[in-house]
This record gives sequence, structure tokens and C-alpha cells, in this order.
Amino acid sequence: MTHPVLSIDQLVVERGGRRIVDGLSLTLEAGEIYALLGGNGAGKSTTLFAILGFLERSGGTLTVGGQDPAGQLDAVRAQIAYLPENVALYDHLTARENVDYLLKVADCPRSRADVEAAFGSVGLAANAWDMRAGRFSKGMRQKTAIALAMLRDTPLLLLDEPTSGLDPAAAADFHKLLETLAARGVAVLMVTHDLLGAADTADRIGLIAGGRIASEWFAQPGEPRFDLNALHSGFARVR
Amino acid sequence: MTHILREMWLLGRSRSAIWALLLLAVCASASVALGLASVARDRAVIDRMLAGQVAEEAALAAFVEDAGSGAYYGFQPTWDPPSDLAFAALGSRDIAPAVLRVRALALEGQIYENESSNPELALPGRFDLAFVAVYVAPLVLIALLHDLWSGEREAGRYHALAALPRARRRLWTSRVAVRLAGVLVALLLPFGIGALMAGTAPLRALGFAGLITLVCLLWTAIVLVVARLGVRSAVNAASLAAVWFALTLVAPAGVNLAINAGVPVPDGAALARENREYVHAGWDRPRDRTMRDFLKVYPQHEAGSAIPPTFHWKWYFAFQHLGDLHVAEQSQAYRDGIARRAEMGRIAGWVLPPAGLAQAMSAMAGTDVTAQLDYQMRIRAYHQRLREFYYDYLFSEKPFGPQELARVPRFDPAIGG
Repeated sequence: MTHPVLSIDQLVVERGGRRIVDGLSLTLEAGEIYALLGGNGAGKSTTLFAILGFLERSGGTLTVGGQDPAGQLDAVRAQIAYLPENVALYDHLTARENVDYLLKVADCPRSRADVEAAFGSVGLAANAWDMRAGRFSKGMRQKTAIALAMLRDTPLLLLDEPTSGLDPAAAADFHKLLETLAARGVAVLMVTHDLLGAADTADRIGLIAGGRIASEWFAQPGEPRFDLNALHSGFARVR
Repeated sequence: MTHILREMWLLGRSRSAIWALLLLAVCASASVALGLASVARDRAVIDRMLAGQVAEEAALAAFVEDAGSGAYYGFQPTWDPPSDLAFAALGSRDIAPAVLRVRALALEGQIYENESSNPELALPGRFDLAFVAVYVAPLVLIALLHDLWSGEREAGRYHALAALPRARRRLWTSRVAVRLAGVLVALLLPFGIGALMAGTAPLRALGFAGLITLVCLLWTAIVLVVARLGVRSAVNAASLAAVWFALTLVAPAGVNLAINAGVPVPDGAALARENREYVHAGWDRPRDRTMRDFLKVYPQHEAGSAIPPTFHWKWYFAFQHLGDLHVAEQSQAYRDGIARRAEMGRIAGWVLPPAGLAQAMSAMAGTDVTAQLDYQMRIRAYHQRLREFYYDYLFSEKPFGPQELARVPRFDPAIGG
């Protein structure tokens, strides 16, 4: 039996006695890009933290590849690559050293050639590979982190506000990278405020309000993929 | 092992961490070198004293005609050889005498006249490995571990790292282990070399290394608790600096003050003065009273106790002896007080583990106050034998010459008498 990459049903997460996520349901299949949109405090990041096992759920079910973080946390985390809003690397290490180190922490060392191939795939300029990460722009950090995710070869990629602070060209590059990953079968769940970016990349967009998905849109073939007016008005309602 | 190697590599790339560890290693190496030099100095003093004794006894043999002059002029060496661990924990060896030449005269003044011979040495304090382990190493551990989690959080890496599978074991445990190991290597490597050079018994060296390890483990635990509870690195560092200041400086000093106030001890110098004054007053005290009081202690010498109206060594040594008896209670109170203070210090060590471990190091190295008192007791036991050897000749009026001089009891540093 094949499990969806991510399956969430009626998830409830409380923080400080308050229900932040309240009955959220979501299923994500391999190769799918899902954008979770919502205002501040809507429960987007809390949902990611529940998937990663940083927060315990107080209700509902949640599995990653059929495994529950409540009981199989390490097995679940082994299937997830996570990029926080601000990707931070070890500034005193080079991009290559950062990736080597973090791959070893994740217990999946890769060859030098693999690392260089991943850097090439994400568009990190060759002269940056052995440059200290302290000199990197946010876009370069994102690319390094995506290269790391590619090298870890996880089925699920979680992104927290990935394009905030990126200039439009860098954001467009980033979305292309996500499409590349999705084409390789990686399921991507990103939480974002960037409605236009989500509309460019996502296969599905969910609007989260009151701790649950209030409305959901599916990408249509052709252009535009989403009804931007409907998205805008939906987003305006929940913000 | 892979995780340990990986964290070693990361630590090696952190310039500040490497500097901190190098500084600790330099401090530890310097303390061991200074400790070895101090011990070598003590041994040289002992050797010089013992070598000089041969010539002195030869000179003495040339003019000694009776037991009285032999007892009066004959200095006998006593010494407290440094243990094989003294180099690592000098304790009170830098201010307490390691050698003392005694005569069969009143003893108390001889013992305590050395007590404050070199007080200026006490001013800068000792710089030995125990000091480095108890005072400096915790600061390095604080520097290396205070931001274990908060540093990653502040850099924005925490969640990305924690999201990695088995991060707790692979990452944090290995990271703590490597940093702790770095500190231990910086301390134990110089210690190991010092122990080899000093010829320390392997089990004792292991025991001392165990104490150093305990100090580091204790501080690692303290730092990790604060680092876990704290949110910001600066707050953690400030809190830990306060804990270090309280545990290693303020609380031990406060406890010391309280113990000193709670357990009054007679002044050693005053004791020596009282002893001397009583002995000097012996010249003017009625001679029959002096002899009567002496014979109460040594009734076996009654038969030979008659003295002429002029000076006689029997009378002279009798009032010397009475000088010691006069301050015996004060002397006992002094020793009891010092021992009681040491005992209370040991009890306080259970509440203040850093101070307790420092005391344990000095105790293991045989350089603490108890060891100092033990040496005094060995001197007393030897002195008792020495003076009774001479009393035997004096009161039986047996002839005494170079041959008898060669039979004078010798000090055995292990047992005293």
C-alpha cells in the first residue's frame, strides 16, 4: 500500500492554551507543490512545526510517508528537508563545507561530485562553492539549502516563507528550482505570504484561517493557472 | 565515531574555540611546569639540607663532650617530601615549611617560628593545575557551551538542525562530548606528561585525572542546564559568569570566613612567643620547682636529677621541656582548631562541589592542611624521641661523645620518630 507523502486529518495543535491549528486537513502526493497561505498567526508555521515534531498535536492524525511523528520522529524527519524563513549557514564555513557538514549530521554523506552537481542544478555559481557563507546573499543561502535538500533526496520539502526578502528575479529562480524538485517527485509544502509567487508555482493553494484550511484552489491547465481575483479576495477575507 | 569526528572538524574550524582551548592548554602546561619546578625546588632544599647535615655532624663531633652540648648544638633535619602528585596541587606547600631543623630544646617555638616565614608567597596565590582545573577550565567550558542551543537559535540554524533525524544524539550529544573532551585533553595531556616526569603511581594519577574530569563534568552539567533554560546567549553567558563567580569565589570565601569566625584558633606566632617567654623565664624560676615539675613527667629520672648550684644541662633542658608543657593545651587547641576548620571545609565541599573537588585534589596530593598537620605531628613524634634520647644520657650521666652522637635518632619522613 502506498501512502501519501503527507497526510493530515483534523489536526489540532495548541500553544499556551490556545488552539492555533484547529481541524486542519491536508494530503500531499509525490511531485505536488502545495502553498499554504494565511495571515500572521493563522497557524502556518505551527503546522510545519507539528509535521517536524517540534510541537505535539492534541488532536487529529498526521503521517509522513505513513509514519507518525508522535511515535517515529526520527523516521519522519529522515523524510523531510526543512528550509526556515531565513536560511542560516555556518558563516565561517564555505558552501561546500556547510553542505558536507550538514549531510554528515543527517547521516547521508555525498561525494564531492554529487555536491558540485547539486550546486550546479540549483544555479549556485561555481566561484561561490568555496566561498565562506558569511558573504552569501539570501538567495545564495536558499540555493545552498535547496542543494542540501536535493542531496538528502527526501520525499518531502517544507518551506517557511521561502521568498521573503528575495528580489523578484531571485524569487523567480527559486520557484523554478521548486518545479525542478517537484519534477523529481519531491512533494513541496510551503507556507507563504507571497500570493503571486504561490500562484506561479503551486499545484494547489490552501488559505488557512482559524487554524484550518478555509478554502482551496487547484491549478488549471494553461495561463493563468489560478484565478488571481478569487485568490486575492479569498486572501483579503482571511487576513 | 563519525559524529564525533565531524564535530571535531567543526570545532577545529572555529577560531575562537581553538584559541580558548589553546589558552587553557597553555595555562595547564604552565601550571604543571611551575608545579614540577616547585617540587624540584623542595627536593633540592631537602637534599641540600641532608647533604649539609653530614658536614655539620662531623663538625659537632669535634667539640661535643657531653650529652647537653650534643642536644643543644645538634640540629636534626626533618622534612616533608613532596608527594608524586604535589606538582599538580601545591596546596599549602608554598607557604608551609617543607623542612625544619629541630633541636632537643622546646619544640613549639621551633615549629611555629616557621609558620609565617614567607607570607608574601600567599599574596598572589598558587598557580597549579588544581587552580587551572577549578577556576580556569569552567570559564572555557562556559565559553564553549553557553550558546550550544541559543547560538544556533540566534544564528537561525536551530530548527533546521533540530529537524534533522536523530539530531539529539548525532548533533548535540556529539557536540557537547567533543567540546568537553577538548577541555579534558587541554588539562589532562599536560598533567599526564607531568605525572610521567614526576613518576606518579599510575593509580594515583588516574585518581587525580578522575577528579579533574569530575570538575569538568560538573561544570558541563551546570552550563548545559543554564544553556537549556536560557533563551539568549548573552543572558546565558552572564548567568553562568555569575554562577562561576558565586561558586568558585564568593561562596567559598564566605564559607571560609564563617568557618574562621565559628572556629577560633589560637595564633601560632603568639603560641611561639608564649613558649619562648616561658622558657626564658625559666632562668629566673626557682630551680627546685623546675626540677620537681619536670620529674612529675619523667619520674624515671628522679635518681639522677640532682643538680649543682651552677648551670647544668639537666636543669636547662627541664625548663625547656616545661616551656612546651606550658603551651601544650594552646598547641593542642591550635591543632584541633585547624583540623576542625579543615573538617568543616570538607563538609562545605559537599555543598560547594567546586571547592570540595579542589580540596580533594590537595588531599590526594598530600598538600592540604591535614597533610601539614600530619607533618607537624611527625616532627613532634620525632622530637619526643630525640629529647628522650638525650634525657637518658643527661640524667644517667653516661658519657657522650662522637660514637653516641652517631646513634642520635634519625627522622623518618614516613613515620616521624
